[in-house]
Amino acid sequence: MLRFWLSFSALSTALVIAAVLGFLLQASWPLLQSQGLGFVTEPDWYPYEALYGLLPVLVGSFWSVSLALLLAVPTGLAAAILCAELLPAHGRYLLRFSMEVMAGIPSVVYGLLGLWLLLPLLESQLDLLTGRSLLAAGLLLALMILPTIMVFSEAAIGAVVREQRETASLLGLDWSARLLRVLLPQAWPGIRVAVLLALGRAMGETVAVMLVVGSLDRLPQPLYNLLQPAQTLTSRIGREMAEASVGSVHWAALVASGLTLAVVAMALSLLVQRR
Amino acid sequence: MTRTQLSKLLIVGLALPALFVPAGCLVYILFKGLPALSWSFIFSATEGTGFGASSGILAQLLGSLLLALAASLVATPFALGTAFYYRLYASPRQQRLLVGLLNMLQSIPPIVFGLFGLVVFVHFLQWGVSLLSGAVILALVILPMLVLNSIASLERIPREYTEAAQSLGLKHSAVIGRVWLGQAWPGILTGQLLAMARALSETAPILFTATVFSGVIWPTSIFSPVTTLQTHIFYLAQEGNNQEVTQIAWGSAVVLLAAVAGFSLLARRLSSWSDKARVITSEE
Repeated sequence: MLRFWLSFSALSTALVIAAVLGFLLQASWPLLQSQGLGFVTEPDWYPYEALYGLLPVLVGSFWSVSLALLLAVPTGLAAAILCAELLPAHGRYLLRFSMEVMAGIPSVVYGLLGLWLLLPLLESQLDLLTGRSLLAAGLLLALMILPTIMVFSEAAIGAVVREQRETASLLGLDWSARLLRVLLPQAWPGIRVAVLLALGRAMGETVAVMLVVGSLDRLPQPLYNLLQPAQTLTSRIGREMAEASVGSVHWAALVASGLTLAVVAMALSLLVQRR
Repeated sequence: MTRTQLSKLLIVGLALPALFVPAGCLVYILFKGLPALSWSFIFSATEGTGFGASSGILAQLLGSLLLALAASLVATPFALGTAFYYRLYASPRQQRLLVGLLNMLQSIPPIVFGLFGLVVFVHFLQWGVSLLSGAVILALVILPMLVLNSIASLERIPREYTEAAQSLGLKHSAVIGRVWLGQAWPGILTGQLLAMARALSETAPILFTATVFSGVIWPTSIFSPVTTLQTHIFYLAQEGNNQEVTQIAWGSAVVLLAAVAGFSLLARRLSSWSDKARVITSEE
């Protein structure tokens, strides 16, 4: 009895992963059947004309996540170094606590900040008709993944053993050389995990992005234009999930978007675990 | 200026946003939300008529708590079972595989569980948009963190305790019930509280599977939809820039934040209390 319960529980993790992939694949079958895998690179998404191209959201997700990482990685890493190496115990505690607070703010509240603080700011500063854009999504995501990067990197830097630091000092390395030649290389595996986890988090974030990205199903014109309304994988799913009728090709296309997201996220998790 | 000073300055400069933005965000949220708070705002329930402009968020707050509690109730038997299996039966290879799978499950974005739930629970099993669908979906979201936390709590039990119990001829069930739960319950409970905080802050997976904006105060059965604080804020945010609506949304955000912070702080308290208790007992 006990053994059955425990074994079944332990199997449940694998079962859930299999069920998620299986059911999503089954539900996206109508699309795969009619279009094959080609829909991934199609540039048009007009459900009313039965065009289900995934390219615009892939580009949107790519830009918003890249921008978020570009902003959050240097800041988070610098904050981690500051926290682990420069601050006295009191400041260290304060910085860690503030990161914990930031990590605890629900994403829908970040959405409010984006919607009613960031968007008006962007509109007035950049003189835009609407602040809803990939830039806004990237900025907001940067804020949301900052704690992840900072906390994991700080743990990695703090875990570099005392002997390594002492040896570096004995060799007469100055502070910056010690940082670049000893601490960061030693902490690199942990920092890499921090960045990958943050990447996954940014890619899967939904409600906050939905509120600021503008939900326009078009490729950015030109492709690097971050100031236009756009759409990401998650924001499209969230936007249209309630509209599509179950069993239709539109529905299948949305499920296929979710499946894409799940597959990429799981690949990332394998990358995190392989050293 | 020396190279050391220059590089330190660079680090501080890069880190500046991380120093001031968190406090800035928090102050802004409180600045916007606190004026909206009043006794009647928090402790009265309305059916969300007038597109949320009529205030009173008790129903939403209770709905959020109910959903989080239900999710934790669904996930806990599996989480504990998995952790016990990990300690009792799993070979080192199985242990590595299990942790790998748990990390993989954790990496799946919550919105994907929302889609999965919509396909399987809402439509295939015909549970509809309901408390049950939402609870099971959130249970999937929090399952990995519950298991990993339970495993970590069990691993902090000194090996001698387990060996002593087993050499006395205790059955597995007695080892679990008398030794492990007695030793690890503060850690397990801490994990539960953190999982509740996580479940409270998830919006995307329950948006189309468990909640409705108006017409519900308290679910009458597990098959009726609920209304939650986090989805309420989301719907209000989409209503536009009506002064009254934004104020209610910010007020709700502060209440949600307080609820999440409440669970997290309780978890912190509990874990530091049990650490202290452990030090004292081991010194005796």
